[in-house]
This record gives sequence, C-alpha cells and structure tokens, in this order.
Amino acid sequence: MGKSIDLLQGTLDLLILKTLALEPMHGWGISQRIQQISQDSLQVQQGSLYPALHRLELQGWIDSEWGASDNNRKAKYYRLTDSGRKQLEVETAKWERLSSAVAQILATA
Amino acid sequence: MKLFRRLRALFGKEQLYQQLSDEMTFHLEKQTEQNIAMGMRPEEARYAALRKFGGVEQVKEECRDAWGVNFIQSTIQDVSYGVRMLRKNLGVTVVAVISLALGIGANTAMFSVTNVMLLRALPVRNPQQLVEFIRRDPDGSMMTNLPYAVFEHLRKNTSVLSGVFAFTSDTRILRSGAGSEPLTIHEVSGSFFPTLGVNPLLGRAIDSADDRPDAEHQVVGLTYSFWSSQFGRDPSVVGATVRLNGAPSTVIGVMPPDFFGVDRSRTPGMWAPLASDPNPDEVWVLGRLKPGVSIPRARAQLEPQFHQALESLSDSTKNWPAGERDRFLGEKLVVQSATTGTSGMRWEYWEYSNTLRILMGMTGLVLLISCVNVANLLMARSAARSREIGIRLAIGAGRLRIVRQLLTENLIMALLGGVIGLLVAAWGHRVLVAFLVGNLQGVPLSFRLDERVLGFSLALSILTGLVSGVLPALRAGSRDLVAAIRDNLQLRGPTRLPFARKLLALQVALSLTLLIGAGLFVRSLRNLGSTDLGLARENLVLMKVDPSPSKSLRDPRRFWNQVVERIGALPGVRSVSIGGDAVFGNGGWNNGISVRQPDGTERQSQVAFNVVGPGFFYTVGIPLVAGREFGVMDQANAPRVAVVNQAFVRKFLGDDNPVGKRFGNAGAGSSSQIEIVGVIGDARYGDLREQPSPMFYLPVLQNLDNRLYEVHVRTAGNSAAVIAAMRREIQAMDPDISVYDVRTIKEVINGLLQHDRMFAVLASVFGILALLLTSIGIYGVMAYEITRRTGEVGIRMALGARRGDVLWMFMRETLLVLAAGAALGLPAALASAHVLRTLLFGLDPSDPVTLVWAMATLAIAGALAALLPARRATKVEPMVALRYE
Repeated sequence: MGKSIDLLQGTLDLLILKTLALEPMHGWGISQRIQQISQDSLQVQQGSLYPALHRLELQGWIDSEWGASDNNRKAKYYRLTDSGRKQLEVETAKWERLSSAVAQILATA
Repeated sequence: MKLFRRLRALFGKEQLYQQLSDEMTFHLEKQTEQNIAMGMRPEEARYAALRKFGGVEQVKEECRDAWGVNFIQSTIQDVSYGVRMLRKNLGVTVVAVISLALGIGANTAMFSVTNVMLLRALPVRNPQQLVEFIRRDPDGSMMTNLPYAVFEHLRKNTSVLSGVFAFTSDTRILRSGAGSEPLTIHEVSGSFFPTLGVNPLLGRAIDSADDRPDAEHQVVGLTYSFWSSQFGRDPSVVGATVRLNGAPSTVIGVMPPDFFGVDRSRTPGMWAPLASDPNPDEVWVLGRLKPGVSIPRARAQLEPQFHQALESLSDSTKNWPAGERDRFLGEKLVVQSATTGTSGMRWEYWEYSNTLRILMGMTGLVLLISCVNVANLLMARSAARSREIGIRLAIGAGRLRIVRQLLTENLIMALLGGVIGLLVAAWGHRVLVAFLVGNLQGVPLSFRLDERVLGFSLALSILTGLVSGVLPALRAGSRDLVAAIRDNLQLRGPTRLPFARKLLALQVALSLTLLIGAGLFVRSLRNLGSTDLGLARENLVLMKVDPSPSKSLRDPRRFWNQVVERIGALPGVRSVSIGGDAVFGNGGWNNGISVRQPDGTERQSQVAFNVVGPGFFYTVGIPLVAGREFGVMDQANAPRVAVVNQAFVRKFLGDDNPVGKRFGNAGAGSSSQIEIVGVIGDARYGDLREQPSPMFYLPVLQNLDNRLYEVHVRTAGNSAAVIAAMRREIQAMDPDISVYDVRTIKEVINGLLQHDRMFAVLASVFGILALLLTSIGIYGVMAYEITRRTGEVGIRMALGARRGDVLWMFMRETLLVLAAGAALGLPAALASAHVLRTLLFGLDPSDPVTLVWAMATLAIAGALAALLPARRATKVEPMVALRYE
C-alpha cells in the first residue's frame, strides 16, 4: 500500500459519480467503496467527501433521499440522475484525454 | 434549477442543518463500528473515527457553504445588524441621510427635468412606431415643414405606413368675455387622432369627416390645460360655440390631461381641422410605421413618393431663381423616430448652451461634497467603534466580512437618502422648470415619477453609498488588531484623524468653488438689474393692439389717432405713443441704407430701425440730444424724416452736427431721401447685455403698413387700474380688436433676467448647502478630536496654559485645514469660474471682491463650527480633565 494520494476536487467528483453509477449508496458506503476498489491506495479524506456530495446535489447530478440502512438506522442515500449520467461520460472523457496527454509527455524521454 | 434548489435550501434551513448533523452522526457511527470490528476499544474507536473524519463542524460549514446559503444569510444578518447600529447612532445617521438626500435629490431633479424635456415618449398608442418626415437640402440643412403635396403623396402609401398625419400651427383671435386674445391653434389632418390612437376625455376627437373644406360646421377640440384655465373644467363646454377670427366653431371634445399633441415645445389651446386653413402651404408630417418595418426600409420605400411630390410642384416653382429651384428639387427625405414627439423650436436653454453642463457641474459638486461629508462622519464613527471591530476581527471574522457589513450599513443609509431624495427631486424639478421655461405657456413639463427617474435615483443611491462608504469601511477593517485590544486609549479610538482632515480640506475646496460661483452670479445679476438702459423704467406699460379682424383697419390713420387720443385722455396716463416694435421686443427690423460719406462715396450698411409715433421718445424716456421728436407735421405727404441715435451718428456721420444730414434706402437710387431731424441718446434695445447699436426711427404716419402696433403708455403711478381702463377704452371702439400681451417694462426686464436669476438663486442655494455640509463636517471632526484630547487639555492647563491658549491651539488647527482647502480650491475654482465667463455681466470670473467674500464666508463659518467644541473643551476643570479616561 503506497502513500495515499491527495485528490483534486474535480477528480473526487468523478469518482463519486462513477461509484454511484453502479448503485445508490450513502456517504459512508461511497468512501468505503472507493477505498476498496483502489485497493487502499486512494484514501478519500473523509471530511472532503461530504461537501463534494452536497455540491453535486446542488448541481443536480445526484439526488438524495433518506432511507433505512442495513441495521435500520436512518441514512441519506444518494443516486445518480440522468444529467449526472451524462456528466459522468463528459468527465470520464476529459480525464482520459488528460491522462493520455500526460502519459505522452512522460513517454518522450 | 440550481437557484430553485438553493432557495429551497434557504427556506428549509433548519431542516438542512438537522439533516447534516444526522448524516455526520451516521458516518461516525459506522466508522466507529468498523474500528471496533478491527479490535479497538469503544472510546478509542470513537476517537479514531473522529480523527479520521476531520473537523466535524468545519465539514458542516463547508457543506453549508456548498449550498451558497451562507451569502444570503450573512447579508440578511448584515442588514439587521446594520439597522440596529444606525439606530444606536441616530445623530450621525440623520445627518448623513440628510446630506445624502440633498445630494442625490438635486441630481435626480436634474435628470428628471432632462427626462421630461427630451426623453419621455408621447402618451399615445405604441409611440415607438411614430416617425417624423424631414426634408434635407443638398447643403445639409434640415427642415421639418414640408409642402402639403408631400403629405398627400405619402398618405397614399400603405406598404410601410399604417397611418400618416399632418399638422400646422396657426394663431387665431379668440373672442372671449373680456375681449379678444390671440390663441395658438394646431390644425390637424383628419388622420391625426385616429393614427395616434388617443381617446378624448370628453366628447369626440376630430376625424376625417370634419377635415373637409366643405364641412358644414367648423369644429374644434380643446386641450386639457386650456379647458382648465379658460373654462374652469366645465363639462358643458362640449357643444358650446366659440368665435375664432370672427367665425363660429363648435367645441366637440376635450383631450386627456397628458396629451399635448406631438409638438414637444408647445401645447396649443385648441385643435382644428386642417381643412379650415385656407392655404396650408407647409405642414409637419408624421406617420406610424407598420409593425416590423424599420426606419431605413421605410425611407427607401417612401423616397420615390417624396420626389414625386416635389416633381408635382415643379410647375409652381417655375419662376423661382434657378439656384433655389435646384435646391428644392434636390431635397432628400429623412425619416426620424418621433417617439418623444417633434420639436419645432430649438431648446436653446437645454440642448445648445452651457446651461446644462453648468447645472450638472453644480449638482455634481454638491453630491460630491455630501459624499465626502458622509465619508468623514463614517470614519469618525467607525473610529469610535474600533473596539467592537477589533473584537470581531479577533474571533475570526474575515476582513472582507467586516468591510461588507460596514458597506451594507452605508447602502441602507444611502437608499434611505435616495427615498427622501425623491421628495427633494420633486420639489427641485418644479423649481427648475419654473425658472427655465417661466415665459412659455403650456409647455408640458410636470414632474412624473416614471421608471427612468426611479431607476436613476436607485442607481445613484447605490453608487453614492458605495463611494462614500468604501474608504471608511476599508480603513476600519484594517485596524491593527493587537494594538486595538491592547492599548487602553486605543479602545476608544485614536486621538487625531489625519485622514479626516484631508477630506475636510477637500470639502473646503469644493465649497469654495460653489461659493465663488454663487458670488459671481449674484453680482452679475445685480449689475444687470441696475445697468443704465437709456430709458426711464418706472411706470411704463406696453400692450399689443391688433385691429385686423375688425373693420377699423380700413382707415388705419384715423384708427391709431383715435387710440392715442382716447388713451391719452384717461386719468392716470401721462403720455402715450405707438411703435411698430416694442422696446425690448423682438429686436426690430433691419433695413439696408446708404449714407454719403464726406469723400463723396456711398456707404451701404444694414441698420436696425423702428417705426414710431409722435412723442414716442418722450413717452419712453429716451433723452433727446439734438433736434426734435416726431410730431403731427410728419404726415404722409410731408418730407421724409428720421431720428437717429448717437451710435448711428458715431458710426456713419462723424463729428459734424447730424441734424439736417441725409441718408437713403439702399438700392433706391438716391442716398438723400431722408432727412435727419433729431438725435436721441443710446438705449438698450433688444438685450440687456448688448452695447446699443446704430438705429434710426421713422415716423409711423409716413410708414403705416403694419397691422399691429405696440402701444407704449407712461402712467402716473400704479398701473393696474389704468390698464383695465385702457382695455375698456379700446374694446369699446370695436369688440373684435384684440388687446393682449399687456406688460410693464419692469416685468419685461424681469423676464429677460430669468435665466440669470435662476443661476444666481441655484448657485446660492448650492453654495449655502455646501457651506452647511462643510461646517457640519468641521464640527464633527473637531468635536470628536477634542473629546479624545480632554486629557491632554487637562495636562496643559494644569501646567499653566490659559484658556485662551488652549482655544487658540484648537482654532489654529482648524485654520490650517481651511487654509489648505483654500489653497487647493482656489485654482480649481478660478478654472471652473472661467467656464462661466459668457454668462457674467460687468465682472471678470476672477473678480477679487467675490473671491475675498467667498473665502471670508468660508473662514468664518469654519471657525464658528470649530469654536463651539473648542470652547466646550476649555470650560472643563483641569482636575476633571486629568481624571477623564
């Protein structure tokens, strides 16, 4: 497990959207999932997750509703909206363009 | 959508905060559980979860920020806090609001007058579709009066125009109970009212059925103002008959109060059909564009028809000189928007002279002074609030937040000032209009609070609030935090306000400018009023007598002789005479004359002249310098004679005795037809300011071709009763004679001075205002400083200083501020006074008396303002002062 990488805000948004594309979940679940899938190399600073979630909700890309969690506690579940799905595609494309550009620059010795 | 969600968050604030809490709680619980599952003890697990999470409150704050609710919320907080603070410092608040109200109000009044004169659309249906047709000469000059044929041709177009109408202005004699008076009438085509789309208040409007030469009855419509003034708003006027030019007409309706026609410069008394005018050669033509038609397209379409119209007139212009005819036929059509109406008369006062600029300069200065004043007051006040601000800075308020809050307070004051300023503006508007157009009747210029004026006032208020508040706010927020809390003395604020003094000096400079301007105008007005006119002003009455509708004009000589006799016989009349043009009338006529020079050549020149009756100069009070006046012997078949003034002699005849010399009409062949029989003193004729120019006078009995003459009467004392008697005498001769425009020379001169009086009064008002504001500023700053320095005063006096010394110390500082302001302001004032050069009479813009007076006034006012708090300081017992903290 390498050192955890600091995430830029835009990247965090992208990860959140991607995570929610699979299934709706609450904030705790999102942070766990990101940690899990990246095999612990990405530790999302838990404090910065929630402002990002609220920002995305203000933009209308995710929607929220209160439901019951696994042990019947009240939890706020987020899900991706249609415009959020579109935004995810846009952001993914941007990320791929960015990373391939960076990779190219690094490849030229 | 985003905004909607934001607002929903704002209104469901409590719920939002609660949900945030719940969300965080849930997360922490889950994390704690995970930690416990990994083997930690419960308390450890909880702390580890909290650590991993980060600052909970900070996260909550960031979430709230993400919704953007913060900004709106903090603004609301600022406003309510600001209102509380304003109420606490009521004295400062009131003074500041009044300052702002005066400054903003004055400027809004200026804007509102401009709005009404130039910008307001006509109160008709869809005024933006209205256009005006103008013809342009090949050499560029534009004329708004078009030949009637153009109207007829344009009327036929239906592709780009949904209506065309024409009107012309005429004067007819209206016979009323007291006598006959001339009245301005607008003769309008039948399409006028329907195309404009305005509905009458009473009765009906003139339509095409009325606009026929063979119409059975002549009809007229009344304007609202005429109906008010002449008929006392009596609704039974509809259907009544009035006599115009001797012929009866039926009143068919009254127009609404807003509607004055399309001519911005003049409201007629009545409207009549165009067909009632025997020969309407030239008319104003306007039209309404069809929806969606642009002005260039309309012009392109209508130009051919315009030319067709000119061509159709080519027969009647066959005999014109070639150059004129070519110019006429080469005219082009210009189409202009007429949303605000047309203006047959140029607004010299408003559009073309310096007046607007000077007035705006003055009101701008006043606003500036009031801004500076408010800024000063605020700085003194925020200096006293430094403790509060220091604490707020200490507990974490950002500097920007403090500045925002202070600015919000200021904006509240400025908006309040703006609201009160509207009242000031309404009053100021009326005063301005009364001054500017006091002589013109029926010009529609009442104060109207429309969206433009409101918008202007609002924008100006906000601008003023920001400008006057930004400096104090920035300075307040930058106070040295540590020093503010640590230093005990600093808690109450600094003892001196050096920046405030600089602002005071600025105020003094601005006020000096206004005071000098005021002084110059007042003295100029006095000079104008007391200047020697060359004639006797007391008890001289003038009136126009027009016998043309009556039968008396068949024998004009007998008629005028009778008039002079009958009036001369009235008790209270010392002497009477007639003249073709009044003293201070329209400036008279010009004629070309030719004078034989000593060397034998003929000298030709254009010279002003007037035609006057016997005894004219005696009546008017112009002294006879040589020779004689006109008398009854100067009849039609007697030798032609003239009387000239001294300027004439100086210019054309040199030093020899002019009586007996001759001159002639230019181009009449002989330069010796007219003999000079008398010389009179130079008198001002057209304008109070001009130097008298050469003039000659001819006897009326030898040149009786006018229909209307001005009767000049010298009365023996109060004129009012005599005037009524004179009127009766003349009307008794024939009721169709119109006697009107009765005025005294004094009234005429007053009227001529209108413009100058306006400047003098306004400048004085502004000057006093500036003085007041500056004095208040000086008082405020000095009072603040002196209170802070009470301790210092106590020490000085305990060490032996006398009351006088302490007083002098404070006064000296004030005088320094005044001197600095004067040094700054004098050059600026002189430079701007230069702009006024053309308006002043009898004095220089750098008139030393005015300068000294202005500076002295300012110095005295400033010294008094500082004296009050200074004296209070010296009255304190030294021991009390020393103990004062």
